[in-house]
Amino acid sequence: MRASHKFKVYEFADEAMSDAPSVSRDEVRADICRRLDPFRTDARPITGATVITKDLNIDSLAVMDMVMELEDTYDISIPLNVVAEIHTVDELTDTVLKIRGER
Amino acid sequence: MTPTATANTTLPYRRAGFASVPEMLDYAARGQTGVNFFDPRGRLTATMTWGELRERAHVFARRLIGAGFARGERLLITADTWPGFMVSFFGAQYAGLLPVPVSLPAGLGGKDAYLDQLRRQLAASGAVAALATDELAGYLTTAAEGSAARLVGAMSTFEALPEKPVDLRPWGAGERCYLQFSSGSTRFPLGVDIRQDALMANIAGQIGDHGLAIGPRDHVTSWLPLYHDMGLIGFMLAPMAAQRSIDYLSARDFARRPMQWLSLISQRRSSITYSPSFGYDLTTRRAQTQSLDGLDLSCVRIAGIGGDMIQPSVLARFAARFGPAGFDTGAFMPSYGMAEVCLALSFGRRGDGFHVDTVDRQQLSEDRVARAVAPSESSRAFVLCGLPLPEHPVEIRDEAGAVLPERRVGRIFAKGPSIMAGYFEAPEASAEALKDGWLDTGDLGYWLDGQLVVTGRAKDLIIVNGRNIWPQDIEWSVEELPQLRRGDVCAFSIDAEDGAESIVVVVNAWPAQEEARTALIGAAQQIVKETVGVDCVVQLLSPSIGLPMTSSGKLSRSRARTRYLAGEYANGGRRPVPAAT
Repeated sequence: MRASHKFKVYEFADEAMSDAPSVSRDEVRADICRRLDPFRTDARPITGATVITKDLNIDSLAVMDMVMELEDTYDISIPLNVVAEIHTVDELTDTVLKIRGER
Repeated sequence: MTPTATANTTLPYRRAGFASVPEMLDYAARGQTGVNFFDPRGRLTATMTWGELRERAHVFARRLIGAGFARGERLLITADTWPGFMVSFFGAQYAGLLPVPVSLPAGLGGKDAYLDQLRRQLAASGAVAALATDELAGYLTTAAEGSAARLVGAMSTFEALPEKPVDLRPWGAGERCYLQFSSGSTRFPLGVDIRQDALMANIAGQIGDHGLAIGPRDHVTSWLPLYHDMGLIGFMLAPMAAQRSIDYLSARDFARRPMQWLSLISQRRSSITYSPSFGYDLTTRRAQTQSLDGLDLSCVRIAGIGGDMIQPSVLARFAARFGPAGFDTGAFMPSYGMAEVCLALSFGRRGDGFHVDTVDRQQLSEDRVARAVAPSESSRAFVLCGLPLPEHPVEIRDEAGAVLPERRVGRIFAKGPSIMAGYFEAPEASAEALKDGWLDTGDLGYWLDGQLVVTGRAKDLIIVNGRNIWPQDIEWSVEELPQLRRGDVCAFSIDAEDGAESIVVVVNAWPAQEEARTALIGAAQQIVKETVGVDCVVQLLSPSIGLPMTSSGKLSRSRARTRYLAGEYANGGRRPVPAAT
């Protein structure tokens, strides 16, 4: 039996953001909009009111990939029940900020 | 925290041959092996030896019995990969209650669909108690309002029950074990009534010489969800029947960081793991941008495949990508099964990898003959799913019930000691599935060299990303749009690239304005996404064409699919006026 376990961690996007002392709401929202930009359905820009699973051409797997990337970037974990109640970009932004504030 | 040992020091190794789940755990509890839970960053978050699990399960059982729950009553449990699931599942085994594992919410904005699903599962099982993880306890409490459940909440709610000095009343040979939701519509969920005898028989087959041939040095790794029979029976109960240690990564964490699955295997020198095709695919795709430095998969003896249609190209890509990291393609082990047989019906030969049969696509679908041809655009490749378990006769029959020879495609029937007794409190569905002791699997397939080749589902079931989707679930939800009526919608799957499936929804409506048509398509796609969590193609169809019906007036999905693929529904089926000839 191994005495200690140092697992090589793959997949961990160790971005500097996770160490940043604080981020503003505008920064987080801009970050989310940037990540969602490839999934726009028309020329209209993505805003805080954009309903992620409705207004965009994004499937559930890609949505969860994006949520995972956000979790890595901001060093948070969003509970399943909270994820299930998020619809808009603003709701996702506020969730990230709230959970980050609770760390 | 230290993970449990791979091997026991003094407890004699014993492979299956137990009378019941409690007896299995009683034996494993005498050693040092157990279960380990890892987070998505590969850190050990919880660990229990089988002995510690047994102690906690006994306490849980005395609380349930002391609270007055009667033998045979049901305990619904949200089956996330957490120690509380195992404590409550085995607690119910010692208390003579039936655990009912249920799945987790599907993603962003999935709350309402999940609450509906919980309500239907509570009703179908008649659960008297319901336990959730802390994060889902609120949802479960909401869903259980007005249900038969008398006690609902997180683990703390159950731990608040007094532990009374009552006798345990464990399930024994011949009795019930748990309810496995898996088959059928999520609107009308059917729970397979898993019995101890059938379960023990199938586990013996899974881990015996015909199957994984588990030995005293094997170590098991799994990310499979515990609400699915492949996770629960294959990667919780079966390893316990051989006193193995199991390392868990939750399914959600796997989906986020698939490489962590392989990293755990490599670090812990695990020899047995399993996944549907889509898991191998996801991992290969994610690995494109990752370094494999330090990854050593030479320890993997069995990399099983089951739970969805096996895609040969996916396995080949995985083997090519991870061969340099020591992965042996011979470790691939295709298999076939379902909850109705307590998991497994056939296994490929151990160490033999996967074998592909390439057949003519047109003859397959039209003549039901699997004629071997060279690979081309008009061929279809299937992976051989192995030899049926001993003592489990399997027949492939035509529509008239005649037994078919090699390379003729028909319906797969099975019988033997691990066939279910039926669906829980659903006599009609049970009678439909079980006839004269034979289980109608609902799947189509053919024989080749004594091996089963599964070609698809007779029942139109759609599988996307390893999830079974019943077409009715899509149709009924889309029909709730105000401008549609019952019978206006037809859902089916078509083969996308690599043998994966994508969903097509044909809607019998053609609003005059183009904006209205676009809006209807968007609304239908949104409902499908909310209901079953997947994307689809929506094709509007002019009501003047109409959806195809069978002679008995039922919707014919197969004919709708054929017409769609033939291009007959393009532009709503409204063809240009033909020139006079």
